[in-house]
Amino acid sequence: MKYLPLVWAALRRKPIRTLVTFLSVTAAFTLFGLMIGLNDTFHKLQERAPANRIWTVGRFGDRALPIAVAHRIARIPGIKRVSVMSYLQGYVGDPKNIAGALMADDVYGDIFTDQLTPEGWESIRRDHTSVTMSRQQAEHFHLKVGDTYTLIAPQSVKADGSNVWTFKVGHISEDVPQVPNGMIAGSYDYYDRSMPLAQQGTIAEVDFIVADPAKAAALSQQIDRLFANSAHPTHTTPEKALFAVNNFFGGMDVGALTHGIAIIGLLMILFLIGNVIAQSVRERRAEFAALKTIGFSDAKLIALVAIEAALPCIAGAVCGVLIAAALSDQLPKVMPRTFGIPPPVMSPAVYMSALVSACLLALVSTALPALRLRRQDIAAVLSGRA
Amino acid sequence: MTMLRQIVIVSLLGLRTLRRRLWQSLVIVVGMACVTGVLLSMLSMAEGMHQAALNYGDPRAAIVVSRATIFENQSAIPRDQARIILNAPGIARASDGSPLSDTSAMTFLPVEMSRNDAQGFIILRSFGKEGQALRPTFHMVAGRMFRPGTHELIAGVKAPFQFKGMALGDKVILPDGEWPIVGTFATGDLLDAQLVGDTETVMQSIRHKAYTTITARLASPSAFAAFRTALTTNPLLAVDVMRLPDWNAMTSADTSAFFHLAIYGIGVILAIGALFGCFNTMYAAVESRSNEIATLRALGYGGFAIAVSILLEAAILSVAGGLIGASIAWTLFDGVQSGFGSDVFTLIVSPAMIATAILWAIAVALLGGILPSIQAARWTVSDALRAR
Repeated sequence: MKYLPLVWAALRRKPIRTLVTFLSVTAAFTLFGLMIGLNDTFHKLQERAPANRIWTVGRFGDRALPIAVAHRIARIPGIKRVSVMSYLQGYVGDPKNIAGALMADDVYGDIFTDQLTPEGWESIRRDHTSVTMSRQQAEHFHLKVGDTYTLIAPQSVKADGSNVWTFKVGHISEDVPQVPNGMIAGSYDYYDRSMPLAQQGTIAEVDFIVADPAKAAALSQQIDRLFANSAHPTHTTPEKALFAVNNFFGGMDVGALTHGIAIIGLLMILFLIGNVIAQSVRERRAEFAALKTIGFSDAKLIALVAIEAALPCIAGAVCGVLIAAALSDQLPKVMPRTFGIPPPVMSPAVYMSALVSACLLALVSTALPALRLRRQDIAAVLSGRA
Repeated sequence: MTMLRQIVIVSLLGLRTLRRRLWQSLVIVVGMACVTGVLLSMLSMAEGMHQAALNYGDPRAAIVVSRATIFENQSAIPRDQARIILNAPGIARASDGSPLSDTSAMTFLPVEMSRNDAQGFIILRSFGKEGQALRPTFHMVAGRMFRPGTHELIAGVKAPFQFKGMALGDKVILPDGEWPIVGTFATGDLLDAQLVGDTETVMQSIRHKAYTTITARLASPSAFAAFRTALTTNPLLAVDVMRLPDWNAMTSADTSAFFHLAIYGIGVILAIGALFGCFNTMYAAVESRSNEIATLRALGYGGFAIAVSILLEAAILSVAGGLIGASIAWTLFDGVQSGFGSDVFTLIVSPAMIATAILWAIAVALLGGILPSIQAARWTVSDALRAR
């Protein structure tokens, strides 16, 4: 602690240089935070996906499975709760302003407690003619609770011949990373009763909970075999597999990509910091020689230099990740509506790896100047010969 | 003229002393190499994907989808509507006088990705009678064409790159049993990563009651208006009609926008880091050359010439770094085959992209060098001598 003034004096010797070092470190760690945070978020999504939840859809994009498929699945031993849903797809006002709604039955909200809040699900159960939506969607359509959401769904013509679906906005919940583009949900019951008689009783998806998560994969295969040669073949996937990190992003290796970019950013500033420290040590050769003369050991001097390097690095790392967190919050606002990623979340683990990286950065950049410092000939320096 | 001469002389002097500041100067070179290298590597993918999406299919074609669909697989055109569309006005005619229009079914088949065990989806598409005629670049590479009415498929040449079990002789499991891949084809576009079968047979097997899309070659570019009007004003139809290039642009817009947002975001953050590095280096360069600058000022060289020479040095180092980064990205990625989701495409590092990256490098150098150069220009002789 008593040497802190010494380090402080060194940093203040060239305030602009210290500031600039800090700023470039901040930039590199902003990128680091975004990249590592994104990777972390992808992994968390998979971790958080309940191991007992399974999704069944039409194998070949069939969005009109008979509801009997759900009833048949419910009879399979080991399956606890079964919900069904369908989609409305269309637009609001202008055909370019695409919109939709997930029409969920009353059980769906009990199974997907993580997509919207319980109050949200409760609101559509209470009023089947209402919708609940996440904030992002509400902001996009400029809707608040009590407003009317008017959706034109050309492919879902109601029994009365109209394709205009109107709903009251019953509830708005906060966005969650599982649903990067936000969601709007209504009642399947209302949807089904609005459709022409011939099309009633069809669903787009069956979602269910199994009693034993260890059997999720086997049960999925069993279900697909059951319907393989029926008029409606199914494709069943446990949610853990669906949210596998590599499935998420077009089969790309998200881990390698994010780490690669983060490391390039760090290497770039490693070079910068190394230079700054070398420069600073070179300029203060006489000072160091004097310190050695009054009894400072090599180790102590090197430690001083390392701390001098570490301070702007650590400060920059913390600020960088803080900026990354602020940028992530803005991400949903600028992301295109039909292609998105979950906004990176800066978990404590991200801060920790940033701090560790910052310390490593400081240590590595001190290495060369430290060697020079050890070899320094005190007499030569002090007499001005070196 | 004298100003120009001054700038040249001062800049050359600066560059000659560059060797003394080698390691410092490398900060700029390495920084800019990182920025342009990362930027171009990532852009190569976004550009490759975007170009492939835009150049998908025959630009003379128009596509008909059910109204207000934005993804192809959401579209469904019932058979009764299809009959009207296939014979609409404005469609080019084959030599036998029949319209060059075709129905297609399309679905995603869950399959394993070839490079990791991830679950992927290959596109299974179908050709009707005119499917081949509507794709002028289509040709068989190995094996033979599927026979209509039989459970046979052909696979694009690039399908095995992205998916397992998609080579000639492999079998694809559909509800009606195993469908052998009897041939391999190439078109030079995104179709090369897909499976193709006969429309009616495939539809029966995947239980589709409606066609997914209808494609038609327009009789002439101006025939589009007549074609579209005939379909969109017909009360029996609920369809959207677009030129194929417009449809491609629309369906790929959000993906492309996302990648550009992400890539330029990463690029800007890296560039900010490099900018401070540049600032620091030039600041130190000015300091270490204070003697030299003082002497030049004493000899009567103007502050402006000195400032310009400092900026010039920053720009030269930066462009050097930019070129290194660009050549690394170009060597590693230009022309390399890559895949994203269901698509296989070629990565692109075009001269225009390299030029953009170099412009970034120059911009960073100028922004980073401006303050140090102003400082150098402002120095009086005595200041400069004292700065030592």
